[in-house]
Amino acid sequence: MNALYLAFAYLRYHWARSLVLVLVAALIMFVPVATQTLLSTSERALVARGEATPLLLGSRGSQLDLTMAALYFSDERPDPVTMGEVERIWDSDLGTPIPLHTAFSSGGFRIVGTTLDYFDFRAFTPAEGRGLSLLGDAVIGAEVARALGKGVGDSLVSAPENLFDLDGVYPLEMPIVGVLAPTNTPDDAAIFVDIKTAWVIQGIGHGHEDVVTAADVAAGTAALANAAVVQYQRITPENIESFHFHGAQDDFPASAVVVVPHDTRSATILKGRYLDAEGPTQLIAPAGVIQGLVDRIFRIKSLLDIVTAIIALAACAAIALALFLTYRLRAREIATAVKLGARRSMVLRLLAAETVTLLLISGGIAAAGAALVTRNAETWVGWLLALGT
Amino acid sequence: MRELTVRLGAGLLAGCAAFLFSFSAVEAEDRPRVVAVNAPLQYFAARLLDEGAEVEFPVPDGVDPSFWRPTIADISRIQGADLILLNGAGFATWIDRVSLPRSRLVNASAALKDRFIVTESITHSHGEGGEHSHEGLASYLWLDPLLAVAQAEAVAAALTRKGLAPGDAVAARLAALRADLEALDDAAAAALEGAGDVTMIATHPRYHYLARRYGLSISALEWEAGAMPSPEDLATLEGLVTQTGAKVLIWEAAPPAGAFAATEALGLQNVVFDPLARSEGPFIEGFAASVEALAAAVRAVAAN
Repeated sequence: MNALYLAFAYLRYHWARSLVLVLVAALIMFVPVATQTLLSTSERALVARGEATPLLLGSRGSQLDLTMAALYFSDERPDPVTMGEVERIWDSDLGTPIPLHTAFSSGGFRIVGTTLDYFDFRAFTPAEGRGLSLLGDAVIGAEVARALGKGVGDSLVSAPENLFDLDGVYPLEMPIVGVLAPTNTPDDAAIFVDIKTAWVIQGIGHGHEDVVTAADVAAGTAALANAAVVQYQRITPENIESFHFHGAQDDFPASAVVVVPHDTRSATILKGRYLDAEGPTQLIAPAGVIQGLVDRIFRIKSLLDIVTAIIALAACAAIALALFLTYRLRAREIATAVKLGARRSMVLRLLAAETVTLLLISGGIAAAGAALVTRNAETWVGWLLALGT
Repeated sequence: MRELTVRLGAGLLAGCAAFLFSFSAVEAEDRPRVVAVNAPLQYFAARLLDEGAEVEFPVPDGVDPSFWRPTIADISRIQGADLILLNGAGFATWIDRVSLPRSRLVNASAALKDRFIVTESITHSHGEGGEHSHEGLASYLWLDPLLAVAQAEAVAAALTRKGLAPGDAVAARLAALRADLEALDDAAAAALEGAGDVTMIATHPRYHYLARRYGLSISALEWEAGAMPSPEDLATLEGLVTQTGAKVLIWEAAPPAGAFAATEALGLQNVVFDPLARSEGPFIEGFAASVEALAAAVRAVAAN
């Protein structure tokens, strides 16, 4: 007890040196633990996103591009598949296909055109407002709301893909009708619209002045308009009836299709139908693609582990050296103590108490830091992953 | 004392009523909910489910279901249904402008595409996109009872697939419904035998499938249902009568008093044939009554 008291008094007297030693030791303990926690959380988050998405249908090409576009709404642009492929899966009754149209963006965030089945599939809950109801409605992720400072009642304008594209893509103003609760997934950084709204942005569907109305269509009245006809760039209750689509919906595009098979047998049958390497489409298990990517990334992690271990070893040696030099500097002080009657064991106990006290304080600080990281790892990793997209 | 007894009794009764009401409300909430975009589909679903589910037709009274515009509250209620029955063939244009869960949508005429009647298509152009066409489809499929059978079969398959009713029970009810619709078809064919010789005009283009099924010759106007025809409308009708030699005018809803006299002056027999898209009564009885009225008009023409 006396040894601990004396050790603590000594460390407090030399507080600056003690503080440096404590912080260095705490960092040596904290950094590997925090790195491991964040990396394993990242790995789990990455793989979980893949595992939560059973199958992905897309145009034949890079599986990674398809996965990144459909799961992380990245800038990759896989060739589109037609909605006819979606109908094929419905007709097979082997699973639920959920189309995703990710070709457009607004305010730096991807516009994701989909069906309400995506909301059920990901179990979204609106934190504010309501879900998609009308053509043109937008529901934004929590990160979009935070970054753009927008909420229900505001609006977003789709970014024109090409300023010189006079033919198709008109910017569309979309009212924000809902904000999703945070999910710590790439969905937080997405702007969700009905896929029909994405087709309107693409120019496949549009509304314009009364060239043709529903009544005209029913009546079979011929009409001819020209380039001067004003196309609406905002869908309102007054003009929504004029919006219409051209062509057969089976030919309309989707960037990718999330496929949720009814059971393992259905998944196997579905996979078998897309094995033809010459076919225009592919059906992939994104979990496998992501696991491959994660494995590749985490091969670098083992290198990082070795570097961390070497640095930690060097830091430990430095601390040991610092302590050793401290004891050398205190040789006269120790000799005086021995002359006053202190036994060698007493001196050793005193030095050990100092070292243990230093390590305990360092360990406490490192443990507190590690607990903080562990508690917030999912949020921070989600934010980091969203930042990456 | 007597007053106290009466009060206690009334309170007890009110309590029981409240309990029963809350119980039935909970039961209604627990039952699956099916929404249909027109009355025939509602009728088919209700017969196939018996009392096993709540089958709704959300269009308010007096509104044409083809051109209904649902409110946000309506859309929200429809989105929450376990199954949403669509007619297909371009019926109910509002479905193209609202968000509905595809996994709960059933197009009752998805298998009937090769039997659709294509009305005149429109070609137009705007912007730099070049010309494109809007193809019109006749959408009142149920006016051919055999197509109605096919729609009922599609509804039955969807109900079974979704597990909203036991498959064997649905199959038994479908067999009964099919028998009723086939009997209806036989009766209509018998009643309208020879009616193809009488040219008819309809106040609205609703009867393409009826005409095709029973070999009728029906031209169509674009009059508003249940409205008094204007002098211009009557002039158009007169021109069409001269052109086609029509003898029967089919109204989709009874017009105001005086309308029949105006058209009778043009030598036309008037008949109200409810296209049943939003009929209040049972589909089979409604269809049979309309066919009988049409057959009576044809007989009257023949008698003259």
